[in-house]
Amino acid sequence: MKPLSSKDWFGKASAALVLGFTLALAVSGLFKAAMGLKDTYFSTPGQFSMWIMGPVWAFTLSLSFLFASGRRAWVWLALANLVLWSLLWLIGGVAR
Amino acid sequence: MKVRTDIVKMYKEIHGWVGIVSGLALFIAFYAGAITMFEEPLQRWATPPAQLAPPVPLERTQELIDRVLAAHPEAADDYQVHLQTGPERPARMTWETDLPGGGGHHEHEIWYAALSPDGALQVTRQGPSPVAELVDVLHQQVGLPFPHEVAMPIMGAVALLYTIAIVSGLIVLLPSLVKDLFAVRIGRNVKRMWLDVHNVLGLFSLPFHLIMALTAIIFAFHDQFYDAQGAAFGGAPPPEAAVAGPAPEADRSVLGPMGVTARLAEQAPGFQPVEIGYGVGRNGIPTVRVSGRDERYGLRGPTLGFAELDPYTGDLTGTDYMPGHQDGWSATVTSFFALHFGNFGGAPVRWSYFLLGIAGAFLFYTGNLLWIESRRRRERKAGAVQQTRSTKVLAVLTVGVPLGCVAGISVTIAAAKPFGASATEGLHSVVYYAVFLAFTGWALVRGASRAGSELLAATALAALSVPATTLLTMGLHPPVVPIVDFLSLILAFALLIMFRRTALRARGGPADSVWANTPQLAATQQG
Repeated sequence: MKPLSSKDWFGKASAALVLGFTLALAVSGLFKAAMGLKDTYFSTPGQFSMWIMGPVWAFTLSLSFLFASGRRAWVWLALANLVLWSLLWLIGGVAR
Repeated sequence: MKVRTDIVKMYKEIHGWVGIVSGLALFIAFYAGAITMFEEPLQRWATPPAQLAPPVPLERTQELIDRVLAAHPEAADDYQVHLQTGPERPARMTWETDLPGGGGHHEHEIWYAALSPDGALQVTRQGPSPVAELVDVLHQQVGLPFPHEVAMPIMGAVALLYTIAIVSGLIVLLPSLVKDLFAVRIGRNVKRMWLDVHNVLGLFSLPFHLIMALTAIIFAFHDQFYDAQGAAFGGAPPPEAAVAGPAPEADRSVLGPMGVTARLAEQAPGFQPVEIGYGVGRNGIPTVRVSGRDERYGLRGPTLGFAELDPYTGDLTGTDYMPGHQDGWSATVTSFFALHFGNFGGAPVRWSYFLLGIAGAFLFYTGNLLWIESRRRRERKAGAVQQTRSTKVLAVLTVGVPLGCVAGISVTIAAAKPFGASATEGLHSVVYYAVFLAFTGWALVRGASRAGSELLAATALAALSVPATTLLTMGLHPPVVPIVDFLSLILAFALLIMFRRTALRARGGPADSVWANTPQLAATQQG
């Protein structure tokens, strides 16, 4: 296995910045659907669902450097997004 | 704990780079943030004696309200009654008007009203000193003089880098954690010593730093997060009719301040009300919101939580943000704010946060020193005698930016007293940035070594200017809150010790250091 290096930092960090954000949004959406919330801003469980986004995004970004390469970071994070957003769509949590 | 060596090496490099990009901004955020722990005492210290007559007793508040509403009907939509008054809350009654063209943050004017001893109505726009507000803005915007909408995303980016720095720093430290934890090796190896200090500071304040990083990300991006959630999941706010409470009752009068405090004392005995806000809801129904604190609980705002009351009966109707009366979700969300603001547990927690904030600023400063020291070693191995331009520039900024921030805040705080009633946030901002830019510019011109000792002496003088203006303006501005002057004296003393040490090192320290004041000598020794 090739040792990790900081060389490919831009590929990894940009993947986490974009797809980590959509991942965080999906996690907050799953929480919102599970709680059966109508909106987020006007209820405190809704505000909690917004707060979830920060740590998910920031930790995805922090740990994205553990991907073997920038390309892999994009692929794996896209897959993770696909899984969570499909789930969210199936349970009717996405605006239509 | 074992961590693969390539992972440690990679995260060490990442830690260095995110640290160097965000470190100076974080220094400013933490130093200014530590001072905001004492925003209210600082306002008391800085605010000139009131031009207004002393606040009317609470029992006569209704008379004041009636007089104000007769003379200024525009106040009826949104006015506040202050149950606790002092220099930081100089009037019993205030109201806000929108500035023309405003609408964003801080775009309104506050008016203060009192009754003179002969019963005449006094109205002024002269509120508490704006200098504490400036320090708060410096804290929130990591010292950037940009409009709020521009500065906040930059702050958010700094907070993201800060999170990466925390995670990567922890990963790098894990393998040697047990060995290094309690060791601070002070000796000839300067880099080792700074690394030990950096590790101990970082590890022991890790929870504090995680809280600050994660909450700052939300403070920066909450609008974008809510917008993204709205776009993805829908869920527009419920229609007006659904949130409507009782219809306006023309024949019933809204409960006055005495009634409100009495009803509140019955329903929430531990809650200390500070301010009653009378407003009008979107559907024309009067609203009553009481802000206050309860030291046993964290607060949603920096210094206050709040409750909604029925305007006619005084029954508690909204306790989502009322300390001690929240459900689990509200208390959890409030805890995120409270952990950032350090507003639970009273003075001991505020002092702890103050010290953790100062220690945090110092952590970022030691991080910069380490970057410089590790570069220096590499260059010596490569045979270079002259430090590279990047090391020199970073050394210059590591001297100029933190000292410029510390001195700028001291001078602009001191300026509050001579400014007196003419003080504005803009004026204080000009003073701060003039000092900050002068210090940074001086460091660039003079180089890190000479500027280091010169600017330390200048910063000590800046700190001394705080007690000095207190003495000089004693006649016009009777001194209050002497701890502000006392802390400035301690700061000046600490800076003078650093000044002495820096001057000694510039002469006696290693000649190939960026801090050495003898570049030619270094060249001849190595050559």
